[in-house]
Amino acid sequence: MMLTNDVELLEGMRIAFIKSLNSIVASDFHLGYEGAMTKSGVFVPKVNLSKIIESLSAAISTTGANRLIIVGDLKHDFSDIETDEFNELHDLMAFLKQKKVAPVLIKGNHDNFVERYSEPFKLLVCGKEADIGNYLFFHGDELPEIPSNRPTMLVMGQEHPAISITNRVGKREKLRCFLYGEYKKLPLLVLPAMGYFSTGTDVNTRNKQQLLSPIFKRTNIDRMHAIAVGYGSTIDFGEVSKLRGL
Amino acid sequence: MMTHIEKPFSDEESLSSLNVFVRKWFAGRFAELTPPQQYTFKLITDKVNTLVTAPTGSGKTLSGFLSIISKLFDYSLSGRLEDKVYCIYVSPLRALNNDVHRNLMTPLDEIYQMITKEKGLDMLKSNIKQVTIGVRTGDTTQQERRKQLLKPPNILVTTPESLAIMINSEKFVENLKGVEYFIIDEIHELANNKRGVHLSLSVMRLQEIAGHEITKIGLGATLYPLDEAARFLVGYKDGKEADCTIVDASWSKRLEIKTISPVADMVYTSDDIVEDETYKLINEIITKSKSTLIFTNTRSGTERVVFNLKRRFQYGDEDVAAHHGSLSRESRLDVEEMLKKGKLKCAVSSTSLELGVDIGAIENVIQLGSPKSVTRAIQRIGRSGHSFKSIAKGEIIVLNRDDLVECAIMMDSVLKKHLDSFVVPKNALDVLAQHIIGMSLTKKWNIDEAYALVRSVYAYHDLEKSDFMSLINYLAGNYVSLESRRVYGKIWYDEKEQAFGKRGMLAKVIYMLNLGTIPDEVAINVYGPGKKWIGNIEEEFLTKLKQGDIFALGGKLYQFEHSRGMTCYVTDAKSSTPTIPPWFSEQLPLSFELAEQIGEFRETFSGMLKKYIKSNKLKLLSNTGKMPKEVDEYLSTLPVDENSKKALFGYFMEQLLFAKEVPTNKLMLIEVTSEPSSELNFVVFHSLFGRRINDALSRVLAVELAEITDNDIGIMVNDNGFVLTSEEDISISERTIKDMVSDITTIGLSEMLKKNIRKTELMKRKFRQVAARSFMILRNYKGYKIPVGRQQVSAQMLLKAAEDVDINFPVIKETYREILNETMDLPRAEAILSGLTSGAIKFKIIKTQSPSPFSHNMLTFGSADVIMMRERHKHLQSLHRMVMERIGEK
Repeated sequence: MMLTNDVELLEGMRIAFIKSLNSIVASDFHLGYEGAMTKSGVFVPKVNLSKIIESLSAAISTTGANRLIIVGDLKHDFSDIETDEFNELHDLMAFLKQKKVAPVLIKGNHDNFVERYSEPFKLLVCGKEADIGNYLFFHGDELPEIPSNRPTMLVMGQEHPAISITNRVGKREKLRCFLYGEYKKLPLLVLPAMGYFSTGTDVNTRNKQQLLSPIFKRTNIDRMHAIAVGYGSTIDFGEVSKLRGL
Repeated sequence: MMTHIEKPFSDEESLSSLNVFVRKWFAGRFAELTPPQQYTFKLITDKVNTLVTAPTGSGKTLSGFLSIISKLFDYSLSGRLEDKVYCIYVSPLRALNNDVHRNLMTPLDEIYQMITKEKGLDMLKSNIKQVTIGVRTGDTTQQERRKQLLKPPNILVTTPESLAIMINSEKFVENLKGVEYFIIDEIHELANNKRGVHLSLSVMRLQEIAGHEITKIGLGATLYPLDEAARFLVGYKDGKEADCTIVDASWSKRLEIKTISPVADMVYTSDDIVEDETYKLINEIITKSKSTLIFTNTRSGTERVVFNLKRRFQYGDEDVAAHHGSLSRESRLDVEEMLKKGKLKCAVSSTSLELGVDIGAIENVIQLGSPKSVTRAIQRIGRSGHSFKSIAKGEIIVLNRDDLVECAIMMDSVLKKHLDSFVVPKNALDVLAQHIIGMSLTKKWNIDEAYALVRSVYAYHDLEKSDFMSLINYLAGNYVSLESRRVYGKIWYDEKEQAFGKRGMLAKVIYMLNLGTIPDEVAINVYGPGKKWIGNIEEEFLTKLKQGDIFALGGKLYQFEHSRGMTCYVTDAKSSTPTIPPWFSEQLPLSFELAEQIGEFRETFSGMLKKYIKSNKLKLLSNTGKMPKEVDEYLSTLPVDENSKKALFGYFMEQLLFAKEVPTNKLMLIEVTSEPSSELNFVVFHSLFGRRINDALSRVLAVELAEITDNDIGIMVNDNGFVLTSEEDISISERTIKDMVSDITTIGLSEMLKKNIRKTELMKRKFRQVAARSFMILRNYKGYKIPVGRQQVSAQMLLKAAEDVDINFPVIKETYREILNETMDLPRAEAILSGLTSGAIKFKIIKTQSPSPFSHNMLTFGSADVIMMRERHKHLQSLHRMVMERIGEK
């Protein structure tokens, strides 16, 4: 669906496309998740990377984008880059190179030590935020510094938003979603997590205090629209406030 | 081959098979042989595999042990007794182990003293040693373990889990290589579950390690079918069923039982009076008996009864005590000790005192509400009257009218000896995964050799080679890329060589810390305003709650606010009606055999009543109205009291007058109805087959109905039937039902169920347990305990990921198998469907303005507990009032 004239939420995907930048934008990949879990005694089979590549591949071929902007948390482990993370990072970058898509990473709170690979992988790493073509990208773990030129839109990740819906006979279902609203009178878009295992935080049942990003202490999440993604389509479910108590 | 032995050996023959000192000791202690002993002394002396079923107090333990003790003293007297284990005894309970240890110490000491007295100085010269016994469980201290390693006891008393550790410990297993006898006690508590399957694999592995045949002895109280239990005990030898002799002494104890209804009218008597009457009844029995044991079906029920008895009749802690699994070990031991000494007037238990822990002489057993199976009823009532010559006395006090029908028939079945059957779980892949890892620790295995060993276990005799190989591949880590196998692999496997063995140094530690089949429980903490702790709810219940829901906990109502991880926050409820039914996963399903018996009773009894429908109906229903003589006589053949007879008569008459039909096991009533007080419409399937079957049927029928009506369908299930609910009007005809059934049969019940349960909480919970048993989620890793909450979160992702790897991933396959065959009863559910298709089971659709009497308990969620939920009761009254008005109008 078209969010604005310039921004499209690709149907059924957790990826946005910005026409003027010829870029696709996605967030929270959490590469290396399975490796980290296995090291703690839970033997999770590896599927995250292959699912992400599948999805990116579809997005690239429908849009013809030549750039991928990752709004933080490309990798999972806080401490250092683990073997599994390195291998997966390598495979993802190789895939992008082959597709002639340039990667840009806005650093998230999980992305420590990632700079040391920016050179070999040709991965452009930006600090806490980046203004690209008047769009302001940031991860969301800290409040953004709004540049004086008033960006067209703010784009972030981090929260892993989702909504959960219970029907009247008691079945509950969780759908990942985009959030779209305003922060300091500027349009704000929150991306759902790409990570296969990050099923999301259901923003319509959670207390506002329990949300991760400090931005939701400054802007009312209830006024944002939840745009759910799943089952091959993307549908606006309306304001979060209306989805509470469902 | 299974041999049923009918004729006991003569006492002479039995005793002469024993060592002379042992014989003398026995004669000095006992006047005669008990029924099981008349068979076993000779059989076990002859090293025959033996399965014994006999009631509590029939000298069962000694019947298994005495011949072995005798043989060990033979060795001792000839100076051949070595410091090694000759006999292993396994029971499911540590408490029982301690009992057996204590009870065998005495004969061992006394016999040894007799020998010392007679032999005097010869003792040392001839190297006559004491026969020793030792216990090894999770409670055994390190120091004691080390002692056992250096000087192992001749008789080793242990649990399935400790045994599994011992056979994989390269040092200790040396002490077990000379084992000649293996005793499994309380075999009925093991043969029907994964814990028992785990044990039977251990036994066969031990036999392989020992390199010789071990004599296997199984002891059980109530057990049917005996052949199945015997097969479980002995397994296969050289591809053929091993021999076993079956001793059935189960009916050597007399029973005196009665079903009691606290009041004659179970609908309109006020809660207070029902409660008063119930406790008055209980207290009468307590007062007139020396000691009483009360069984409730849940832990919370147990607490409630103890509280009430103390409050109402001024009993103190030294008179009445609770005994259940949530209590500390010390307080449980205290209660057992007090019972044994005859100090306690009354003990109240959920299930924990059902097993054979020695509790001394109990005069009377009271069961509150249906225990759901004949076998369990006998087991519980059998706890009274300790010696095999005394009479076991029991009363069942019923909670509602369905409960009454169930208990009346159950008690009748107890007297008629209609036991319900158990099934050994077959081909459980998670348990096998653990054993394959265990096997890999001890040596390098050839695949075919290992597969053959596994197939010698009864539970795995039909295991497909492909399933075995999929486990090997999973355990070898073949589902991840080569370079990750170092971390994922749990065994080493060489495909070319067709061999597997140990991988890495950690393997053994991981194995020892994680083995076992009993899942960790998840308790969700509930906090009220001001972070005040209120109690626990089950995890599965939490997943059903949404904001604003009102539920009962500890007898009070709370409103659900939100949850975070393993905590749940509530406020005091503003309304007085719960919006969500209580949840008891502890609740046991009704056995199929009993359901069939109840069905037959319904048919006979309603057939008899049909002619009275026309006569003066309401007068017949009132309590003062007299029951027709024929009816009174028929009901008097059941073990029920006067109140029960009146209640039974009233219940069936109401149903007949209102709906013209009483559902039976050959006639499924399908009632389309609604309730004016709610906006929901119901289709009530009166399918009297037990919850395990109804669970399966209800899900697929709901899927079908959802498709037809294009609506979400809610499900409520109990033992007597199930209810499908919808917000929209539901209209169904005979044609619809037939189409639905034929559709299900075409697609296949199992396929439809798998698809339907894939996204349920049940699936997630079971998957976590199976994944933990298969070591895919480690409960304990590198010394860290992984909290269940974490396990749960991970399990959801794991399930998703595993499915993407391979839909036939062994951990997923096992989860479905367990749900379909253990939680549900797929084979019987399929039989019901084909019965509906062929017409062997008829069905009839009726439309009612308000629900018929037989559906009331189903609509009030069918989960009766000792805590009568007041709101529930009121709801039931209003339903009933509607029915009575309708009958009156006609």
